[in-house]
Amino acid sequence: MVSREQVESVLGRIRPMMQADGGDIELVDLRGNSAHVRLTGMCAGCPSAHMTLYMGVEMALRDEIKEFEELVVV
Amino acid sequence: MKGPTTFSPDNVVVGHSARMRAIFDFVKVVSRSDSSVIITGESGTGKEVIANLLHYSSSRRHQPFVAVSCALFSENLIETELFGHERGAFTGAIKDKPGRFEMAQGGTLFLDDIDDVPLSMQVKLLRAIQNRTVERVGGTRSINVNVRVITGSKKDLKRMVAEGTFREDLYYRLNVLPIVLPPLRERREDIPVLMDFFFRRFAKARGIEPPAVSQAVRYAFSRYRWPGNVRELENSCERIIQTCSCGTVRTGCLAAGVLFGASSGSPATAAADLAAPTDATSISLDDRLQEVESNLISWALKVSDGNKSRAAELLGIKRSTLGDRIARCGLTEPAAKEHEEPAHPEDSGEPFAASA
Repeated sequence: MVSREQVESVLGRIRPMMQADGGDIELVDLRGNSAHVRLTGMCAGCPSAHMTLYMGVEMALRDEIKEFEELVVV
Repeated sequence: MKGPTTFSPDNVVVGHSARMRAIFDFVKVVSRSDSSVIITGESGTGKEVIANLLHYSSSRRHQPFVAVSCALFSENLIETELFGHERGAFTGAIKDKPGRFEMAQGGTLFLDDIDDVPLSMQVKLLRAIQNRTVERVGGTRSINVNVRVITGSKKDLKRMVAEGTFREDLYYRLNVLPIVLPPLRERREDIPVLMDFFFRRFAKARGIEPPAVSQAVRYAFSRYRWPGNVRELENSCERIIQTCSCGTVRTGCLAAGVLFGASSGSPATAAADLAAPTDATSISLDDRLQEVESNLISWALKVSDGNKSRAAELLGIKRSTLGDRIARCGLTEPAAKEHEEPAHPEDSGEPFAASA
């Protein structure tokens, strides 16, 4: 089972930079080994930001947490 | 890679770093000569740009500039590629084909990735450069070639000579005028200049205004290691310009690799760096502290209705100290003065009226 702390520690790495731009990435829910996150602030509506974070954050989560499965942007 | 047709010296960014300025000054000097130049630098540091610049600032600029990467060809192919071949030299050689040396006649030949040339080929290369003649594969006649040879290398050739993987004689033949290009991470002061340049260029190509760039993105660009050097930076800028839909480049626009690469330190450091004033204008600590002091004293005087003893209590200092500090901060307006005598109850109601 993936823990909230594990996911938060990965998100925490990019959070200062997102916050400096008036945005954030929130962990909304953990379902099994998948995490549901929400983008807030300036980049929330931007398709390319979604793409970047989708791929980038998911890759980072999989790198650090062996059992991690899927990132869902809600 | 920029081909000779797209190259313009105006498209070269010198940057602020002393090292790059020294390199460009050196290029100006050596472009007048015909001697061999060897450009050493990691992938993406701009070896071909410098080779182009050397050619287009030289007297050979109206002659061809031929660039060839020696890493592209197998051991057999590289010979026909550089020296050409005669018809019938091998199966499939249906007509004569001039090599790159001949194609660069009168101009400049840039041999990139010279460190990938196999030893057997190195000796042939040495002969061609030394005698200024080439022989096509399958041919017998020597063709005179007048080319200036510039070579590019990712590795330190001197070390390869020591290891026995590069011929010493060829090394000394090539290494007349060495230019060493630093990796981007060793000249970070140039990153903002390059970034702004690429953003402008790609925005222009797309027909849009150059976007505003957030402080966090500038920070990420300056922290990232850029293993692919200027080429990687250029591609990152292109990607951002192609995908940005809101007119401002923000963290979300960054490629994941750059974002995470720049965040590799502790989040606390990043937060502190981002909060710090990033422009280099100096600030006076004394002025800032006095500003804070003055604000706090004004606040204390206000909430205590101008009663200095009460204000001193709120600030955790002595009544006499407060008086000194009010004077130092230039807060000695009549209103404050009137309250030096809190013992007169008739004054406390209408302090301004009393002073008038």
